[in-house]
Amino acid sequence: MDPVTSRPGRVLIHVFLLAFAIYSVVPFLWTALQSIKKLRDASSRTPKFLFSPTLENYEDLWLRSTPENPEALAFFLLLALSLLVCLLIFAQHIPLRRNLVYGIALSGLVGLLWLIPQVLDMARFYDFFINTLIVTVGTIVVSISFGCLAGYALARYAGLLGVVVLIAALAFRALPRLAYVLPYYWIGSALNLIDSHILVIITLVAVNQPFTIWMLRSFFMEIPKDLEESAMVDGAGRLVAFARVIIPVMWPGIVATALFTLLLAYNEFLLVRILTQTNWTLPVAISRFTGGEDPRHLTLAAAAAVSSTIPIIIVILFFQKQLVKGLAAGAVKG
Amino acid sequence: MSRKHFSFFVGPSIVIMLLLMVAPLLAAVWLGFQLITFRNVTSPEWVGLENYLFMLGDPGFWNALRFTLIYIVVTVPLQMIIGLGVALLLDQVSTFRGLYIAATLLPFIVTPIVGTLVFRQTFDRYGIYPFILEQVFGLDINFFTTDNITWLVIFHAIWYVTPFAIITLFAGLQTVPQEPLEAAKVDGAGWLMRLRHVVLPHLRSLFLFIALISVMDAYRVFDSIFVLTKQNPIYSHIETLMYYNYLVAVEFQRLGRANAMSVLTVLGIFIILIPFLIISYREQVEER
Repeated sequence: MDPVTSRPGRVLIHVFLLAFAIYSVVPFLWTALQSIKKLRDASSRTPKFLFSPTLENYEDLWLRSTPENPEALAFFLLLALSLLVCLLIFAQHIPLRRNLVYGIALSGLVGLLWLIPQVLDMARFYDFFINTLIVTVGTIVVSISFGCLAGYALARYAGLLGVVVLIAALAFRALPRLAYVLPYYWIGSALNLIDSHILVIITLVAVNQPFTIWMLRSFFMEIPKDLEESAMVDGAGRLVAFARVIIPVMWPGIVATALFTLLLAYNEFLLVRILTQTNWTLPVAISRFTGGEDPRHLTLAAAAAVSSTIPIIIVILFFQKQLVKGLAAGAVKG
Repeated sequence: MSRKHFSFFVGPSIVIMLLLMVAPLLAAVWLGFQLITFRNVTSPEWVGLENYLFMLGDPGFWNALRFTLIYIVVTVPLQMIIGLGVALLLDQVSTFRGLYIAATLLPFIVTPIVGTLVFRQTFDRYGIYPFILEQVFGLDINFFTTDNITWLVIFHAIWYVTPFAIITLFAGLQTVPQEPLEAAKVDGAGWLMRLRHVVLPHLRSLFLFIALISVMDAYRVFDSIFVLTKQNPIYSHIETLMYYNYLVAVEFQRLGRANAMSVLTVLGIFIILIPFLIISYREQVEER
């Protein structure tokens, strides 16, 4: 549509967009503010904007006991983290093989996550954070591997069977969680798998598979057929052509799909709530703050909300393009 | 691609879906015939149709069904209208566009439990919205009375689900062909006429897609209701099917009944979805 040119019209458009943006963001800003208040300031009848900020909510949430020299520890922790992040950002400019750089950065990150509870007396919230990471990474790896194979075949196969599989997947996407989580609970109890990461990952893969297939298929459809056909003419089999020629050009699509899988696994509540007893993930841990009338919950919940949102915001800052592209791809072709 | 290759590539995924989705569903039907609680999980007791009949006679179930349908009928169209409006506005601007999109996306990507909690806190007794309403408009509103909470559920739905419609429709607007638009303009069609006769028909399949996805998601809405009700039974009128199903399973500890209810809800969503699925099937067959 052609643009509005009148000045008041353009101002009005920005006013509307700004209002909607503010409506979207205000709850996060407000909660971030609440999370650095003392409980007394946070539960004031008239909201306080002038207060002495405190980190005690975060301390209560993450630490079991306060270390002797918190400033030094916090400094080294932030230093190590920012070093790793810099390594990831500037990986392209380092004169080493890129996979090697990524490998070093990732093992550094895992090492750091392992080191933290050795040095600090971490509270249960840290375990929940680690559980969330394990479950999320596991789900992404399994879900994307199977999804790539299926998505590729569904993009290339012209038979009616392909359509039937796609529509069946679409119908599966509609299933309410409880319809199969309760049977999983039953099977999990019989096999003594309740509270294990495996059971949660398997269930999340099942939930995610229909979506992954559709999304990866729409990305595979963008890749011209000539590409793998010329490789196959050169004597490579279809599987080899797929692995050597298609997957490398598919990376942006795979990253976009992985991003949505990450959000699904990181955000899932109900399923983990039923299938675990103590090995919670972050959403289940935070759900404890959502009921009852314990006044402490006000600021603890705020700190927990900010803590669990920061990793997501960091990921999205890195991958916003892929996220929007993924939404658009699923949409325009779906 | 030959059929042999196709089954080789798709096989693992089909096995996953059969094993991990169809089998549990069949298990749910079977478990619905059992008397089963958290105590006798591994040794259920056959009770025939009792659970299914109980759920069909349970006022809580019908109450949840009613509110879920209201929720779908109100939030899905609202989401599409607001989504189209904001997408059209976004299409108009180029400065700050990235910033607006980022801000709008935030509620959509954040963990629903956390997002709803954060949203609830701004409307809460100590929150900033009631304070602003009182200071600026002199209104003293408690959003957590049993009447007002329904509005809060709707405000939350707009906040949480509209970004999806906004982004997909915005992406769709970028692909509107320019020629018919120009032709319509030459013929003297106004803005509204061009929107109605050129842009909206182009976005038809997108609207269908958004409707499909958001009906599915609205039908099984759980996390936000779990947080907004504070699991307090005084808000029982805003219990959705999934939330009531959760109560039957976890709070009442009646796993047999909960399974029976989830089988009934699955039937419900398929009845709603059949037209959508048929349309999607036809589209896919045409496209291939």
